[in-house]
Order: sequence, then structure tokens, then C-alpha cells
Amino acid sequence: MTALTHDSASGGPPRPRGGGVLGRDDLTAPAPRRPRRRTRTEVLLFVARHSIAIALSLMFLAPVVFLVLTSFMTSDQSLTSNLWPASWHPENYADVFTRTPMAKYLLNTAVYAVLATLFMLLSSVPAAYALAKLRWRGRNLTFVAIVCMMMLPPQVTTVPLYLMWANWGLTGSLWPLILPMLLGDAFSIFLLRQFLVTIPDEYLDAARVDGCGEWRALLRVVLPMARPGIAAAAMFQFFYAWNDYYGPLLYTSENESAWTLSLGLASFRSLHAVQWNLLTAATLLTMVPIMLVFFFAQKAFVQGVTLTGVKG
Amino acid sequence: MAITTVGAPGTTPGAPPARRSAPRWWRARERLTVLSFMAPALIGLALFLVYPLLASVYFSFTKFDLINPPQWVGLRNWTFLLHDPNVRTAATNTLWLVVVMVPARMLGALGTGLLLARSRRGAGIYRTLFYLPALAPPVAATLAFVFLFKPGTGPVNSLLAHVGIEGPLWFNSPQWAKPSLVLLALWGIGDLMIIFLAALLDVPKQLYEAASLDGANAWQQFRAVTLPAISPVLLFAAVTGVIQTLQYFTQAAVAASVASGQATTGGGISSTFGYPENSTFTYPLWLYVVGFRYGALGYANVLAVVLFVVAITVTAILLRRFRTFLGSER
Amino acid sequence: MSLTLGRTALKRTIVVAAVALLTAAGCTPSPSEKPVASPGVEPSGTVEFWHFFTDREAKAIDTVIADFKAKYPKVNVVVKSGQDDTKMLQAIGAGQGPDVGLSYSTDAAGQLCNSSAWIDLKQYVDRDKVDVNKFPETVRNYTEFKGKRCAMPFLADTYGLYYNKTLLAEAGLSGPPKTLTELSDMAKKLTKRKADGTIERAGFLPLSSFYENVPSHLYPMVGAKWLNDDGTSAVGSDPAWKELLKWQKDLVDWYGYDKLEKFRASLGDEWSADNAFHKGQVAMMVDGEFRIAYLRDQAKDVQFGTAPLPMSDSQSSRYGAGYVTGNIMGVSRTAKNPEAAWALVRYLSTDTGAIVKLANLIKNVPTTTEALANPGDLATDPEFKVFIDMFQNPNSVHMPSTAIGPALEETMSKFMQKWQSGSATDLDAGLKGVDEEINKQLQLAG
Repeated sequence: MTALTHDSASGGPPRPRGGGVLGRDDLTAPAPRRPRRRTRTEVLLFVARHSIAIALSLMFLAPVVFLVLTSFMTSDQSLTSNLWPASWHPENYADVFTRTPMAKYLLNTAVYAVLATLFMLLSSVPAAYALAKLRWRGRNLTFVAIVCMMMLPPQVTTVPLYLMWANWGLTGSLWPLILPMLLGDAFSIFLLRQFLVTIPDEYLDAARVDGCGEWRALLRVVLPMARPGIAAAAMFQFFYAWNDYYGPLLYTSENESAWTLSLGLASFRSLHAVQWNLLTAATLLTMVPIMLVFFFAQKAFVQGVTLTGVKG
Repeated sequence: MAITTVGAPGTTPGAPPARRSAPRWWRARERLTVLSFMAPALIGLALFLVYPLLASVYFSFTKFDLINPPQWVGLRNWTFLLHDPNVRTAATNTLWLVVVMVPARMLGALGTGLLLARSRRGAGIYRTLFYLPALAPPVAATLAFVFLFKPGTGPVNSLLAHVGIEGPLWFNSPQWAKPSLVLLALWGIGDLMIIFLAALLDVPKQLYEAASLDGANAWQQFRAVTLPAISPVLLFAAVTGVIQTLQYFTQAAVAASVASGQATTGGGISSTFGYPENSTFTYPLWLYVVGFRYGALGYANVLAVVLFVVAITVTAILLRRFRTFLGSER
Repeated sequence: MSLTLGRTALKRTIVVAAVALLTAAGCTPSPSEKPVASPGVEPSGTVEFWHFFTDREAKAIDTVIADFKAKYPKVNVVVKSGQDDTKMLQAIGAGQGPDVGLSYSTDAAGQLCNSSAWIDLKQYVDRDKVDVNKFPETVRNYTEFKGKRCAMPFLADTYGLYYNKTLLAEAGLSGPPKTLTELSDMAKKLTKRKADGTIERAGFLPLSSFYENVPSHLYPMVGAKWLNDDGTSAVGSDPAWKELLKWQKDLVDWYGYDKLEKFRASLGDEWSADNAFHKGQVAMMVDGEFRIAYLRDQAKDVQFGTAPLPMSDSQSSRYGAGYVTGNIMGVSRTAKNPEAAWALVRYLSTDTGAIVKLANLIKNVPTTTEALANPGDLATDPEFKVFIDMFQNPNSVHMPSTAIGPALEETMSKFMQKWQSGSATDLDAGLKGVDEEINKQLQLAG
């Protein structure tokens, strides 16, 4: 997506490759060049901006706060319009695990997300490299096909693919969602390609001149340089798998032992007559791992979103 | 399939690839190299793009219930499409979401992006806070919203009642259900905001300085400098937004199921799709119901083919954009 | 950017596609004719059994399955609970799925039989000389589709009226309503509002989206018809539907739709201990006989009574009738072990001991004449007796089974949502629309 932000309208000197947004540590505006005295308007604007920002922050946060509060209530109270727990029940969180197969769902989700991510990297990094750094006939056409596939709503291919997996006896499990990752994921290929084109060719040429083959150029030179891009792609894939609902619904709905968190969560009410206090607790438990991953890898992730921002 | 290294000076995009006078065996070797990189992805394209598309077209002319082998019925499924009242409802709902949700998300993301681009202090914290909801799994976020917006006892209506406003029925009202889904989508604009923010920060400072020397006010600067500079990003966001909305499934399914409050025991989650009054009944939901609940897979494939045509048309806009962009790259 | 494929590439693509297409077309498992064993052969092997029950009821199923295993030690039964028809059909289509499936509703029979997802059991029935006449006529009807015996009855559900005796007494009312007019009057008397007008307790909650208020459970009250004799939809032409919907809308309007929907959305989950009837938030409701077990399990303090469904004034002679639906069982065409599967189906549908035991455990209506005549403790339970009588009442009705399965009722249900909220105002046009939609879907399923 950096490429997209280049625009003829900017007219400025071309930026060094790999610079721009990606090179920046933070997405905040650079500091003003020289200190100036603030005018009254500027102070007013400052206050206005921050009031809006704080108000927005509260609105973005409020849903989570209410969820947390409700998750500590009794079942009775969660059905009332009280906002604050009359008494605190942290045991609700333990109840979620004992009353529903939450632990099993968590494990399935983790297996799905981790394997899908690993497989995707194995297949998509080389493909992205070939699309970004090798010149061959049919490359543009292949790239167009990749973009088409990326943009294709999953519902379009649902029925034939379901039949295919059924034919292979793999429905009722998460494999129909994991195995295709060995054959490249369109979105990840696109994302990685966008990143790889920003790596200057001079580095590659050096490796090639040394007598390394293209594979060695990829492993020795490109991989270390593309680490942020790869991290971003991996994280997108991980998040996508973690959050996926349609895929598991389609392929595993009849086999509860293969369910993921999203699928389980959507069925808690009808299957386990779970009440709102437990449901909110389970909802929070589903969100937490994702948020943790985000906090540990915020930088790489923000870079990734910036780089493309297709699925996100 | 000839390989040349990219970036050779003077290569114009779209021109036939430069052929070196290399020996045959060398060219074959190069071809093998490309194949070793691309083989999995090419098989993937054949298996997960080309095959299902062709198969969908074939199935759309058959009567097929998943149990018995497909039976050729000619145009029967296609004529049914013209008389199917449900597809009209579903397509209208999806169109409504495209027309309202996509611009709402873009405006919201642009607004917050502009706000963050201007404020220096605390931008990092705001950015994280605005972004976090975008990470919430859609099922979890939808559950949370249906709970928050419960008509009688939900926190939102309770708070509104405190200030003397009688809140609407939100997810339980056919008029408000889709707007409620838009609110849910707005809660998760963080991803879009980050993209816009990056684009906004990429606009060269000199342009603003020049504009303000010319006496342009803030709005004029936005029109004359910001908008043109970020328009490619806006276009990209619009196209991907439309595509995402065309496949809108999870939130609509979960919101309907939870808001209806009906136990789906024995009937499955699809028995509540569209609640209330079909107002959240989107095109992909109908496709799923037709195929996997009513077992009319032939007709489901008609719906799939139509969806494909619409999606590809929207994508074409993006591809046109890519053409220039593939070219300008090297 | 060149968008043209090379000619060889194009040819190759076409070949690949053609091969793929052929594979796809031939990929559905072909029906395998498994020969029926000669009588007297002891069944053995593993049987996978899917049902839709959860929690307490699922445990009850497990005890009966254990009895079956004791009787047929060579058969191992793998039970999967919490399933639904959509999943079952999908799994059978995928060549997997259960050997024996249990569907929650009779209207699914059509879909399961018509598509032959469930096999015709005639050969087994004949071989083992199972007398289908020991099922009451209603039961016999809803387990067949177009003369094909592809399902066996499991247990039956009968829907009637529950009322909270304490609340009725407080309002000075002596017994349950017998007509729709009485139901409305009593509902109004039993309703309690807060000072700001919001509903605190509803005498009767008439919204079709409330718990068990689906069209099929309400239509017996007016004696309406779903289908004409030629199999097309009768919804638009039978005036009884209009009567039902008008009655329902009048009562909804008396509460105010918005207020009622707000109240409904604040109620606890139907299957949880927070059920609105358990908590006295509704004084009367339509529900199945299984509610008795839930009430005694989860809300021991509630003094409740049961009664047949109230009838419209013109149908008052039919009082005593209710809505009947049955759980039905069948053997999947994908069953790996149809002999053992049939053994399980046969046991659960015809063994009087098993039927009575299960009926008592989950408080459902048994489905053979022998079990009905001698249903154990159920016979001495006055609340349950009401349902057994309703079940045997000749005026009780059940949903017709069609090839479109649940679509019949769902189409009607969606119109009722529009009608009750006031967004559809033309009743005739609306019902005609339902007709049209049902007929088209019937046509498509052919």
C-alpha cells in the first residue's frame, strides 16, 4: 500500500524505498520545526480536538466496560437494567469453562490459527517473491488472478468447495480451512508482494552475482529484510483465522468437538442456555488473546495495516 | 516464461519481456525456478478459484440437493431468480448496507484520521484506543452490541432513559436493525482509520504551506491538497469496503439470532436469519439458507454466480487502478 | 499488462476445468443398495446417533441408550447431542453424518424423505414384522411421506396452555381460558404495568417471536389449513388465518408493540432457569408438555396448571385439541451399518419399556398405543394427563410435511413478524404473498 500512497499529485522528490510510513516509528505527526507562540485560536483548536478525541475514546471503550461489568453480575442481575454489579462474581469466568467446552474451543481455534499461519507463510512467501522480483511471462495475469481471488466473496465458491472437501471426507473438521493455506493465500501473497517490491533490487543483484540461486537470494537476503512484512502478513492470517465464523460454521457445524471460539460463542445461548453474565464473560475471553497479541506486536501490525488494509 | 531481473532500466511495463540470447537449457532452468516458487499458488488458483467458478456455473443449471446426483434442469433455477421474493429482499438489504455502511465507515475513519493527524500530544494513546475494537472477533463484537442495545434493559437505553430519551428497539426493530449494524461497523473502523492516517501523514507538508500562503482556509486546503493526495487510498478503501459488505454474513447472522431470543434448538442458527422482519436478511445469508438449509444447491449456485459477477465488476474498478499502478512502480 | 492467455495455456486451462467439472459432477456418493440381512441375525458394530437434546434431556437419552447397549452388547452407540436438521442434511450430503438421526419436527420428514437422505425402512419393517398400526393414526401419518415409510416415531410433543395458578387467583380468575376472547380478556386482567407504562408482567405474550409462539403452535386455535388438497399453499385462501392474525394483532396493539417487544427482549432465555413463565413475568403461555419437567426442575415454587389450547369462538366445539408434533428418527443413506442402525431405531420406537422410561424421564408423550395406555407415572400426573388427552384428541393437528421442510412455517413466521409490528397492514395481500412464496419454493424443490 505504500505504493498506493505514492501519487503523481505529490510532485515531490521520490522518497527512498522502504522509507516513508514504514520507516517511521510511530504514526504521529512530526514535531513542528520551530517553537512558535500559540495564538488564541490554536489553543481553542487544541482544546476542541482533545475534547472530541477524549469523547470518542470513551465511546470506543464504553462497550468493553459494560461487558466487563456485566460479566461479574449474577444471572438475575444481568437481565435487569442495572449497570453496576450488586455483588461481584469472578467465578463466572470459571463457570464458563465448566459449563461449556470453552477450553476445547480455545484449543481448536489456536490450532486453526497457528497452522493456517504457518502453512500460509510456507506457500505464500515464495509466490510473493516470484511476483515481486522475478520477471516471467504470465506474471501480470497471475497477479490479476490473485487480486480477483482476494476480492472474491467466499460465498461464491462455497458450494463446489464444500462438495470437494466432502468428497475427500474432510468436512466436519477444520482441515478444509487449514490445508488450502499450503497452496497460497491470495490476500497474504498480495500483501507480501506489496512489501517485497519495496526492497531495492541492488541487494538481490548482489546475492545473485555471488552465485546464489533465486531461492538463496530469497532466504539469505529477502527474508531478513522483509521481516516486518512477513510479521504483518502472519498476524493478519492469525487474526483472520481466529475471528473466522463463516468457515467453521460451514465445515464443522455438525461436529462440536471441532468448533472454534466464534462458532461456540454464537451457539452458547441455544446449546447451553448460558445467561448474559456468562455470555459476556465468554465474549471477553474470546477477545483477550487477540488483544494480547496486538499489544506485543503493535508496531508490526500497524505497519501491516498501513501496507495494505484490505481485510484488516 | 523468461526471467529477467526486475528493474532493468528502460523496460517499459506491458512490453514483451526482454529475452536474452540465453541457451535453451538455461531458459528451461529459469522456468523451473519460477515454477518452484509459484507452483503451490498456481495449484491453489486452479483449485480454489478456477474450478469452483466453473463448477458453480455448471451446478446453476442443475437440480441438486447434496444427496442425489445433480440433474440438468436447464434454465429453471435462473428463471426462479426473477420471481424469488427473498432474493429481492436480500439484495435490497445488502445494497442498503453498501450505500450506507461503506460511506459511514469511510467518513468515520477519515474524521478520526484527520483528528489524529492534527493532534500531537496523546495521539499514540488515542490511536490505540480507536483501533482496539477493530480487533474484536465479529461474533464477540456483535454479541456485545446486541447486549448493549437491548431495548428494555440494555445499558444504552438505560443511559438514554436517564436523560429522558426513550430509546428505540435497535436490533429488535426492522427500522433500526440495519442502522444498529452500522453503529457496530463504526465501532470497528480502526483498521480503516490507520490506513487513512498513514496516507494523511504522507501528504507533503510543503503543499499545505504553499496553500496557506495562497490564503486557503482549512476546508479549501482539505479540498485542494488533502483529498487529491489521498484519493487512491480512498478508492481502494471504497472498493474493498463494497466487497466486504457484499459478503456481510457473520454480524447479520449473529445479531438476528441473539436479538430474536428464540432458541434455535433443532432448527439451527439459520432459522432466525433476518430477524426482525427480514431487515437483516442479507444476500449471503439467503445463499446459505437456500443451499444448506433448504437443500437447493442448484439455485444457491445461481445466487453465487450473480454475486461473482457483481464482485468482479467492482473489482474491475480496482484493477483499472492497478494497471496504472503496476506500471508506475518500476 | 497483457491480459491475453497464450493459446496453449488456454487449451490447458480448458482441459483442467473439464476434468475438474467431471470430478465434481460425479462426486456425490451414489446410493448403495445394502442387502437386508435375513431375520434373526444379531446386529453388531458401531452406530452413530445424533439428536438435538441438550443438558438434562440429553442425559436422559444416555440412560436409555445404555439400556439398548445392555440388550445388544455387540452394538456400540456413539451419541452426539445438540445437533440440528440443517447440520444433519449437510453431513449426510457430505457422505458423513449419523447412522441414525433424530429430527425435532415432523415437518422435516418431507425434506428428509423426499431427498432420500433417510432410507425407506419398509424392507426392515416387513422383515421384522413390526406392526406400524400400534402407532396412533396421527403418528403413522407424520412418519410417512407420500407413502414411503422413511421415519419412525420417537416421542411426541403436544402443545397446550400453561397458566400460573397463583397469579390467576390474585386476579380473581378461576380457570384457564377456553376461547380466544377469554384468553384476551384474561391476559388484559393479568397484565401489570409500571408507573411509566412499561410492562412488568404480561398476562399472555402474543408476539410470534416469543418462545414457542411460532405459527404452527397457534394455528390449531382457529383450525386453519396450511395446504390445499393439491399440495399448494392454502394460507391466503383460508379465512381462519385471518381470524388468528387479527386476534393476535388486537392483543398486541392493546399492549403497544414497542412496549411489548421491549418487554420480550428483556426476558430470560427460554431454556434457562430464567424462563419468563418460571419467573412469573408471563401468566399464561403456549408451550409443550416438556415444560412440566423444566418447571419441576428449575422453578419448584411455581403453582402452574395446564389446559388444552383455547379455541376461536367459531371453533369452540374443537376444545380439547392441541398441536401435536413428533420427534422422528430415520436411518441415513450414508449409514455404515444399517442393520445396527435399524436395531436402534426399532428399539427406540417400539420397545414399550424404553418408550415409557424415556417419556417419564423427559416428560414427553409416548407414541405407541401400548405405552399410551400404560404410561407409568405419567398417568397419575394430572398436569401431564392433559397433554396425553390432547394427543389422543381426534381434533389435534400436526404440520403437513412437505419437500421444503421448515420453509413452510418460516415463510409464515416472517409475515407474522411484519404483521404484528404494523409494518404490514394489508392482511389479504400479505397472506397472498405468503401463498405465492410457499408455492414457488415447493415448485423449486419439486
